[in-house]
Amino acid sequence: MPIIETRNLRKVFRSVKRYPGLGGAVRSLFTREYVDKAAVEDVTLAMEPGELVGYIGPNGAGKSTTIKMLTGILVPTSGEIHVAGLVPHEKRKENARNIGVVFGQRSQLYWDLPLQESFELLRAIYAVPRDRYRANLARFSEILALDEFMETPVRQLSLGQRMRGDFAAAMLHDPQIVYLDEPTIGLDVVAKEAIREFIAQINEERGTTVILTTHDLADVERLCNRIILIDDGRVVFDGGIERLRNEYGTHRTLVVTLAENCESFDFPHTELVEREGNLVHLKFDRRRITAEQLIRAVTERCTISDVSIVEPELEDIIRRIYLEGYQHQAQAPAPSS
Amino acid sequence: MAERLAIWGDVYRQYWRINVLTALEYRANFLVWFGFTFIYHATALIALWIILQEFPSMNGWNFPQMAFLYSLWMLAHSINNTLFLTVGDVPEHVREGEFDRVFVRPLNALFQIITTPQQIFPDELILALSLFVLATIWSGVTVDWWFVVFIPLIVMGGALIDFAINLVIATCSFWFVRVDALRWIAFQLEQEFTRYPISIYTKGVRLVLTFLLPFAFMNYFPATFFLDKAEDALHLSPFVGLATPLVGLVCFVLAYWFWIIGLNKYQGVGH
Repeated sequence: MPIIETRNLRKVFRSVKRYPGLGGAVRSLFTREYVDKAAVEDVTLAMEPGELVGYIGPNGAGKSTTIKMLTGILVPTSGEIHVAGLVPHEKRKENARNIGVVFGQRSQLYWDLPLQESFELLRAIYAVPRDRYRANLARFSEILALDEFMETPVRQLSLGQRMRGDFAAAMLHDPQIVYLDEPTIGLDVVAKEAIREFIAQINEERGTTVILTTHDLADVERLCNRIILIDDGRVVFDGGIERLRNEYGTHRTLVVTLAENCESFDFPHTELVEREGNLVHLKFDRRRITAEQLIRAVTERCTISDVSIVEPELEDIIRRIYLEGYQHQAQAPAPSS
Repeated sequence: MAERLAIWGDVYRQYWRINVLTALEYRANFLVWFGFTFIYHATALIALWIILQEFPSMNGWNFPQMAFLYSLWMLAHSINNTLFLTVGDVPEHVREGEFDRVFVRPLNALFQIITTPQQIFPDELILALSLFVLATIWSGVTVDWWFVVFIPLIVMGGALIDFAINLVIATCSFWFVRVDALRWIAFQLEQEFTRYPISIYTKGVRLVLTFLLPFAFMNYFPATFFLDKAEDALHLSPFVGLATPLVGLVCFVLAYWFWIIGLNKYQGVGH
């Protein structure tokens, strides 16, 4: 049974219509015209317990609004939500016990005091039993190396240390579900890796369901077995990373090392993207021409010493979906060999 | 229920621990605040004393009685400042998006707000208590059972009036985001109209201070009762002074109801 389920979820924000300029500002003080904008148009999704899902999309696609509805911060305009059997905004407090939230841009730690004190207050807020609290803290300290800075006031921590503290804070009460909103934003490579390791460990050890929104697709590639892609308030892709690559990653690059100089590279459905000495990068549409066909065509014309095929980066695939839309790609014909 | 009370108690204890630790972490800042608070209230009292040097009494109130009036307000006000000051931070949390956090924690939203660690220390409350004891002795108020039973209730009621008004203003930030102007106005009115017996003002002001912004219940009505004075502002029975706890409760209930409407607005109910 899914732990998170939404059906036709929709959220419309209503705001007072604004007119440009100073005169306009005065005018909007006195007129009550409203503008409705749907931040989330229609989102239907289901997640099983223990899944680690990347929820991604461009800025303004509706990611945060969806997360806010799932966490009970916002009430949907229409549609249904069930999170661990509860409707989040109706059973806000019960729902809050089941979830942990990390907002990468905002900390829930108390600025002026050592990390330890923030944890103590959270223990009280979530009524975590003492022994459970101690066990969790010991385990998190082990994975995140919190001991080094447990006694340091939070304001003196580096961003990486603070994020580690925030992760521990969000997990102290053993939530079944954690929502991670841009958890690695601004972190250096080492700190990112520590955070990813922690997410993977917690997910594996405790079967915690994780929803990760991020712009760093390396997070998704490293952690998630599933991607939900949202654009303009709608789900445009929901599935495994492999499927995303197969369906949308239609362009591959053939890297050819020439043994002798060769000039003409105008092959069908192929584009010369880079030439550096005797190294040639040819991007081809694998639906229209197979790698084998292209290699044969190249060898007919040039003498080569080596070939390799480069898979498209996840980032490139997703950038193309954002830019070019998704439908026409998915409906493109299958490769004919 | 018992379980929930235990949780609230535990949170409250941790909250105070953090407050005191923070105050100690910033000792210099704390001392400056304490000095400022002391000078602030001392100045107000000296100003009263100077005025009463010019006029032997103000509508029949002499200086010790005025000091009792002031100390009654100060006691209620400092309880509000000690227990409920953090409602004033709600507009800032809303503006900076921090307010979301309130909805993902398993506690009552208002309780979370009043247990948001700050650097609060009961220094003003201690000053207020000292002044209250002095003014009580000095003004010759009879300390009997009425006094012992009602003064704590009246002071709590007065604190609730203060709290309710601050809560209403903070709630307005769900619609307007910035409410600095409202806050400033309410603060000025409270300063202005709690220092003297309200009988010195015009009828309109007296009605406003009784029914709309009921500051008169924080000190004027109870003080007339305990000082055995005739209530000559609105010619009400002196026993009106004992209604403060009830008035405080009603104000709080109304403000809390408005707060809930504000929370619904924040969560975008109906849209």
